[in-house]
Amino acid sequence: MPLADALSFFPGLATAAAELAEDAAALRRLAEWCGRYSPWTAPDGTDGVRIEITGSAHLWGGEAALAADIMARLDRRHVSGRIAIADTLGAAWAMARFAEMGKDPVILPPGDCRAALAPLPVEALRLDPATAQGLRRVGLKRVGDLSAMPRDALARRFGETVMQRLDQAQGDMPEPLSPLGEVPTRRVRLSFAEPITEPTDLMLATERLTADLVQRLVREGTGARRVDLGFHRVDGLVERIRLGTARPSRDPRHLAALFKERLDTVDPGLGVEDMILAAFAVEPLPAEQIGLLGHPAGSEASGIAPLLDRLGNKLGLAALSRLEPRESHIPERASVSVPAAGPHPGPPPWPRGREEPAQLGGGDKPQRPIRLFEPPEPVEAFWLLPDDPPFRFAWRRRRYRVTRADGPERIADEWWQPAASGAGLREGGDAIRDYYRVEDEEGRRFWLFRAGLHGNDRPPRWFVHGVFS
Amino acid sequence: MVQERALLPELRERVRRIERPAATVHRVLPFGVAAIDRMLPGGGLARGALHEILGAGGDEEDGALAAAFAAGIIGRLTTQPTSASQSQTRLGPSLSPLRGGEGLKISPPLPSRAGGEGRGEGGLVLWCLPRPDLYGPGLAAHGLDPGRLVLVRAPRDDEILWAMEEGLRAPGIAAVIGEIGVLPAVASRRLQLAAERSGITAFLLRRWRDGGQAARERALPNAAVTRWRVAALPSQPPRGEPGVGRPRWRVELLRCRGGEPACWEVEVADATGHVSLAATLADRSTTPVPAERFRRAG
Repeated sequence: MPLADALSFFPGLATAAAELAEDAAALRRLAEWCGRYSPWTAPDGTDGVRIEITGSAHLWGGEAALAADIMARLDRRHVSGRIAIADTLGAAWAMARFAEMGKDPVILPPGDCRAALAPLPVEALRLDPATAQGLRRVGLKRVGDLSAMPRDALARRFGETVMQRLDQAQGDMPEPLSPLGEVPTRRVRLSFAEPITEPTDLMLATERLTADLVQRLVREGTGARRVDLGFHRVDGLVERIRLGTARPSRDPRHLAALFKERLDTVDPGLGVEDMILAAFAVEPLPAEQIGLLGHPAGSEASGIAPLLDRLGNKLGLAALSRLEPRESHIPERASVSVPAAGPHPGPPPWPRGREEPAQLGGGDKPQRPIRLFEPPEPVEAFWLLPDDPPFRFAWRRRRYRVTRADGPERIADEWWQPAASGAGLREGGDAIRDYYRVEDEEGRRFWLFRAGLHGNDRPPRWFVHGVFS
Repeated sequence: MVQERALLPELRERVRRIERPAATVHRVLPFGVAAIDRMLPGGGLARGALHEILGAGGDEEDGALAAAFAAGIIGRLTTQPTSASQSQTRLGPSLSPLRGGEGLKISPPLPSRAGGEGRGEGGLVLWCLPRPDLYGPGLAAHGLDPGRLVLVRAPRDDEILWAMEEGLRAPGIAAVIGEIGVLPAVASRRLQLAAERSGITAFLLRRWRDGGQAARERALPNAAVTRWRVAALPSQPPRGEPGVGRPRWRVELLRCRGGEPACWEVEVADATGHVSLAATLADRSTTPVPAERFRRAG
């Protein structure tokens, strides 16, 4: 009925605009909150939440107790709901929406789907309204009526969906539930009789949970690379701390310390009633030799792993890197940064002293800058002869007069490499760089290069690529 | 009278221990240049302390010389065996007979908090910087093995200070270095204390965005044990040779706890990061410049 009609019937009607996005978000939050019952939860359409409770009902003292718990908690939040538990997703969906029930949840005993579904209207099969209406028009009003019909005829007339939905509801066809989030490999939960808010309480609970999780990891000989601590608040919101570690870890103190660092970002609101610690990426971690004083007698890398974790979890693991040498003539490719976290297959050693090209004067001078600008910064340069270094250049609002120069050192493009980096290279056919080491009046030393050759269509451009010590 | 003379240094030492109990166990790192080491208390750069390094002129922005100077020091810190001028017994693994003569007791090296093992030879170097423009081959040329480096990139000064402090608490770290623009005095104090406690040597590389920031920050005092300024000097290649000669620096010790400000001109000699006094100026620089205009910095 259009709103205008409704208002004409009943002028005092209270109306509110539908906020579909808000509703969807609220449903999603509800589904997330249901994560306290099982990791396999997902919002269902626009008005439901699916929970896969296989294997987790016993934690709540059986299915009835679980359903009662959900009901009680929803009640407390002034959310009215209908709960059904059945063998299949389809049956539970149908029962929750169409079964005759009072306040109590409907719980179908295993194997009862067929009988329980039979008296329900065909709409209970999650069909689109047109199909359901079509079925009604030919007299098929109840789910039980469908079972009696020849499958081929039904499928031909109403499409495969009808039979598929029927089979799914009756358990003849599997229907997987795609959970809301990633399903953790290991999960431990702690519920509180009274909601907790104090930071010290939260920390204690965190320590307890990490200890629980670690116990299981130790038994399996694995370590966690990613963990997620969820704080289920009384008001149904879920606060999370997500952590990544540089190496698989199962050191309870280490993990707890990582959480502690971030605990102040958690807003407990009116209180936290559940905490769930989940480990996602789990990798094999063999037993480690512990040093005599309780310190791991591991390698250098394992010694700083806790440090890298702390830094990485605050600044992002991408902020941590190491330098590795590469065989390349292109300066910016000769030294690459690789992530510091993660396994290290022993980086190649750096050459100690660089071998010097003879024409550069040889000797033991450091010929590579200590800082390299990537990308190279363009400068305004003035020079006399085609192969001369500039006698003057301007860079970053400053003018420099060149008093001494070395060069050129010609570095050509590595034509066998894809042009991954090196913005100055190749661009406009400037595949050749002539590098000069120049010194200004004050003694500052720069690494300039000229991109492009004289005689081309466009004049050569100058860049500063680095500064020497 | 003679007895009194002997008493005085001992008393001084005791007072120092009371004032800074942790600092006494750390050794020093000599530069290997007598003229410089002579001016430093203990005959070298204090380990387990915070040192500040400034650039000069346009280099305050790029921090090239400061980075090279620090790389040279850290390179020696991580490769040179501990050459102690302050006596300190090495805390390595040791074997001692158990009472009763039943077998041997193996004492492992003390954990790093005790400030002994793992500082001299090995360990990683944590280098915290706002933008990753360090170039590996350039560092290697100054004697710092880039393979030892762990670069921590953080856009903000407070994050860099935090990362440095974390690094100063961690085992397996040989040195911590941070490129800082704005440095609150409290932060420098925290770093100095953390360095003292762990025995890890820390370096602050001052790198300023612009002249205004430099002018504001340059004069502010902080808790670093030494403050150095490294400025480029025009190179002096051998007569008749064209091109750029060996890099020459003016190294100024602006401030030094327990020491006097001084100034040297040095030439960067070889790929090990060693510096030598500039040949032509050796005479002048062995007698340190009085450096009166830097006294205020102390």
